[in-house]
Amino acid sequence: MAAIDLHDLTKAWGNFTAVKRQSLAIRDGEFMVLLGPSGCGKTTTMRMIAGLEEPTSGDILIGGQRVNDLAPRERDIAMVFQSYGLYPHMTVADNIGYPMKLRGMGRAEREAAVRAAADKVELGAFLHRKPRELSGGQRQRVALARAIIRRPRAFLMDEPLSNLDAKLRVSTRAEIKHLQHELGVTTVYVTHDQIEAMTLAHRVAVMQGGEIRQLGTPEDIYDQPADLFVAGFIGSPAMNLLAGEIQDGRFTAPGGIAVAVRVAHRGAAVLGIRPEDLRVLPPGQGDVAAAIYTVELTGEATLVTADVGGARLSARADRGFRAGIGSAIGLALDTSRLSIFDPGTTLRIKDAP
Amino acid sequence: MRAVRTALLLAVLFLILFPIAWMALTAFKRPVDLLGLSLFFTPTLDNFRTIFSHPWNIGRTLWNSTVVAALTVLIAIPAATLAAYSFSRFEMRFKTGLFFLILATQFVPAVVVVLPFYLLFRDLGLLDTHWALVIVNLAIVTPFAVWMLKGFLDAVPAESEEAALVDGATRLRVIIDIVVPMVWPGVVVTTVFCFVLTWNEFLFALILTRDDAVTLPVGITRFRTERGDLWELIAAAGILISIPMFFLSSIIQRHFVTGMTGGAVK
Repeated sequence: MAAIDLHDLTKAWGNFTAVKRQSLAIRDGEFMVLLGPSGCGKTTTMRMIAGLEEPTSGDILIGGQRVNDLAPRERDIAMVFQSYGLYPHMTVADNIGYPMKLRGMGRAEREAAVRAAADKVELGAFLHRKPRELSGGQRQRVALARAIIRRPRAFLMDEPLSNLDAKLRVSTRAEIKHLQHELGVTTVYVTHDQIEAMTLAHRVAVMQGGEIRQLGTPEDIYDQPADLFVAGFIGSPAMNLLAGEIQDGRFTAPGGIAVAVRVAHRGAAVLGIRPEDLRVLPPGQGDVAAAIYTVELTGEATLVTADVGGARLSARADRGFRAGIGSAIGLALDTSRLSIFDPGTTLRIKDAP
Repeated sequence: MRAVRTALLLAVLFLILFPIAWMALTAFKRPVDLLGLSLFFTPTLDNFRTIFSHPWNIGRTLWNSTVVAALTVLIAIPAATLAAYSFSRFEMRFKTGLFFLILATQFVPAVVVVLPFYLLFRDLGLLDTHWALVIVNLAIVTPFAVWMLKGFLDAVPAESEEAALVDGATRLRVIIDIVVPMVWPGVVVTTVFCFVLTWNEFLFALILTRDDAVTLPVGITRFRTERGDLWELIAAAGILISIPMFFLSSIIQRHFVTGMTGGAVK
């Protein structure tokens, strides 16, 4: 187990820079999720940590030791791949035991280790099968067992759930979280799925265009997005973003929106509010008058999209809420949970002290 | 339409199979039956007995062919596998050019280089030895093997290899433990192809051998004697040359099937 430090890490192919001078300190035992849309450099960053990709510049430290010039096998890390990366010609037992075989562990000892690792991921009954005789979820558990059979200094997981179906994804996600907690191994996890990031991470690094846009706990990132990109990327449905302006401590936008804000900023601003922080009320009540654009029942809630002066706001209403399209409602904003952004820099404007 | 197609297919089949069938029949004929077209004759194994005994001693040439083909393949396939892997996986300067150059060595007609080769091996004292033929055949076979194997290797996804690298394997271990088993059908097919090419090689064997290292295809020409062409013996030796090919083609067939159903786990 070890901390991982990235210093000014850059990866470029010709004119294209995939990762731009990124620095990131991952603590010993931490579950760090690199989150971002495809092409944001998250997988490249992970592959550089693994040693499968050579950095153009910058340093990678694992446990305080600079590993730039070490081969993957010398870095003492374990990796789980998106398409599992299993050895198709070997049995499940041989797949799981391969890292120990390479380390010269004897047959009897190895079999015991394989069994222990396989039991941890509930694969004990499949040891003699070939990977092609397993389901996708079982294959990914073989990859997990192969990672946990030795106690590496870090786990690297590259979108390990994206080839699984929705139901399996939820249960495997829980297994990964439990395993990481139990083993306490530093973990770097790459995903484009914000739910995975929210549920698994101790801290999340949201990446875009080769840069880390925000680093923080899932709560930080959800409640206080650092810029407009993070605000729009995290959350489903996404945070409502309204362009308007701030005068004398009040944010105003077309459609009669006017709320008191606690920022010192004046002039053009973007107000962000999450759907669950908008309350749907009978017409005439609340802060804003709106008309219903559409209503969607998701099961645990009713998603209301409302038209406010040409802008559309989504609000999460009680699951019992019913109303026809076009009918009038009122919306109340939870002013303690507002985010204000500068439309020029796209950055969040902090509350005035 | 269907009848025309059937007739065409039969005609093609006849063209291909007739010489082989004729050879097979001739090999079992006595010299008196040789020029008769009748399918009814008294079959005999005398021809095979004759070619294995003095003065023909075809057993010796059979051994030579086997040694040369086996040694060639044993050296060519591992070397070609490593070369093909490098071309498939690593970035290098002038990669396309180099890869083309490997095959370009085969663009020179063999007749043009056979004399220089003769002089070379004479000076090295390798004339009429197995090694002379092995070296020449390696030069012929390895470029083809590199090209064929690269095709098979390109089709293997890199993820399993990367997993093995992270799991603690060196590059060579990855090739031996992971890559070769995954492209095994391709390795077998390439091996058989190279074996056949070497087994049937004629020109270099003719020029570079005299007595000790003569191979089967060259050995057959000895049945054209001052007494005339001994067709029954030529046919018997022809059968001998063909037998390994039949076995090898069945191996290829089997591996092509597994090659298509096997492969990586997605």
